Amino acid sequence: MILAVCGKGGVGKTTISAVAAATLRGRDGVRGLMVDGDPAGGLGMALSLEAPKSLNDVRKEVIGEVKAGERSERDLAVSMDYLLAEALAENGNLAFLSIGRPEDVGCYCRVNSFLKAAIEGLAGGFDMTVIDAEAGIEQVNRKVMATVDYVLLVSDTSAKGVRVAETIKQVADTMVEGGDAGLVLNRVRDESEVESIRRSTSLEVIGWIPEDDTIRGFDENETSFFELPECPARVAIVEVLEDTGLL
Amino acid sequence: MERSGEGVRKPVIMGLFDEQVEEVGRFLACMRDRGDLRELEARGERWPSGSSLLLAEDTAMELGNPSVASLSFVVWGDPARVRDGVVSLVGPDIAEVRSDSVPFAQVLIVSGEFTDEYESYRDLREAIYDTLLDGFTVRTMPSRQSVWCRVSREAMDKGFSLGDLGAAMTRNLKAVEPVSGAEALFVTSSTVDVEKLAPAASGARRIVEALMKMYEEENFDCETCEYKDVCDEVMDLKKIREKLADEKARAGP
Repeated sequence: MILAVCGKGGVGKTTISAVAAATLRGRDGVRGLMVDGDPAGGLGMALSLEAPKSLNDVRKEVIGEVKAGERSERDLAVSMDYLLAEALAENGNLAFLSIGRPEDVGCYCRVNSFLKAAIEGLAGGFDMTVIDAEAGIEQVNRKVMATVDYVLLVSDTSAKGVRVAETIKQVADTMVEGGDAGLVLNRVRDESEVESIRRSTSLEVIGWIPEDDTIRGFDENETSFFELPECPARVAIVEVLEDTGLL
Repeated sequence: MERSGEGVRKPVIMGLFDEQVEEVGRFLACMRDRGDLRELEARGERWPSGSSLLLAEDTAMELGNPSVASLSFVVWGDPARVRDGVVSLVGPDIAEVRSDSVPFAQVLIVSGEFTDEYESYRDLREAIYDTLLDGFTVRTMPSRQSVWCRVSREAMDKGFSLGDLGAAMTRNLKAVEPVSGAEALFVTSSTVDVEKLAPAASGARRIVEALMKMYEEENFDCETCEYKDVCDEVMDLKKIREKLADEKARAGP
């Protein structure tokens, strides 16, 4: 299962991804790959995990290999596997990969497509891959992998957040196998907000997460979400992910 | 390589990697004198093939982790110098390692009649890449000539040995058409021992790079070529260059 968590900036994508990681960690027989699509490294901070190198570092190294004369496709493919393994931070049954800061190193479509294939190959070794996408699904498609199984759209209760989610869904329809996507509303203060949004959007609202000071406190103090106790938001996130068969 | 009067290719006289095979031979002799070289017995049954991604928590030990010395290369040599099927080890085998990470060198030497050096070399590398064993993950970085392996706790408990790895590698290499014999050497003893093989590894790499350049770029201007020094030293490379230049001239513009 490959899950991309998408939405407008600041709506809580990283919180949901981090809770998913905390829930997966320690689960018997389950291996999870967490991909941080935020150039600022939000998911890494939320989990107190630091990747030894980023996907962009890997990309630069592979471009270096090509420039140095490496031409064999198989050699490039095995090099990428090696470099991706070097880029992983591991914590128990979880592995963490950071996309990192994009740098303009020219257009290397061949490298990008090889890299995506390598990440897909890597993800194939895991039971669950969660991509905390920077914003839209385009980034995932361009830099991480060609298709995902499910797009988890996240929005707060603002109209703007929901509109951004709708736009992401339209783009996602072209790359998500089966077109599976659902909207989770975050920082909900009153259930009536959820009903109001349900009536105004074409998106399927699959759940909502209450405003929760515990989450706010963890964000403010940069405490690892692996330490997050049972709290209303955590319970709601796990419920949504489990009810939709994502976890 | 030459062409006979009928246009049929005659096998190349071996020698492309003679110097590297010699160097490995000297290393083996030195280790034998030191009392640190042994041959691993091939077990009765083959270790099962399989591809698995091992996380650190499933890993009993690592060989050639990027933070320690690691070397890997394949060369071919005179059949008289290749001990077919032999797997040698300098240092502890998997079950004897007392830490979770050791330096690692993997040297594979094959013999055979290589009529197309370029294709043969690629086939040998493919055979190595395709050696996938259950409970054993290997990652290869060709430009660094390094490999990074993980052995699962389960494989270790079941008695996985470098003898199993060597047997699988030599078997796969012998499946490459022109290969008649294959020998494997592993080093796990120390960084110093692994680095003793570095000159042979870098020599092999320069020869392969020169070979690849000749075949892929078809540029035979020696004065501007960064591998001129290698071709000047290795007679077989010079012969290959002359053969390719001749073929190109015959084919015309």
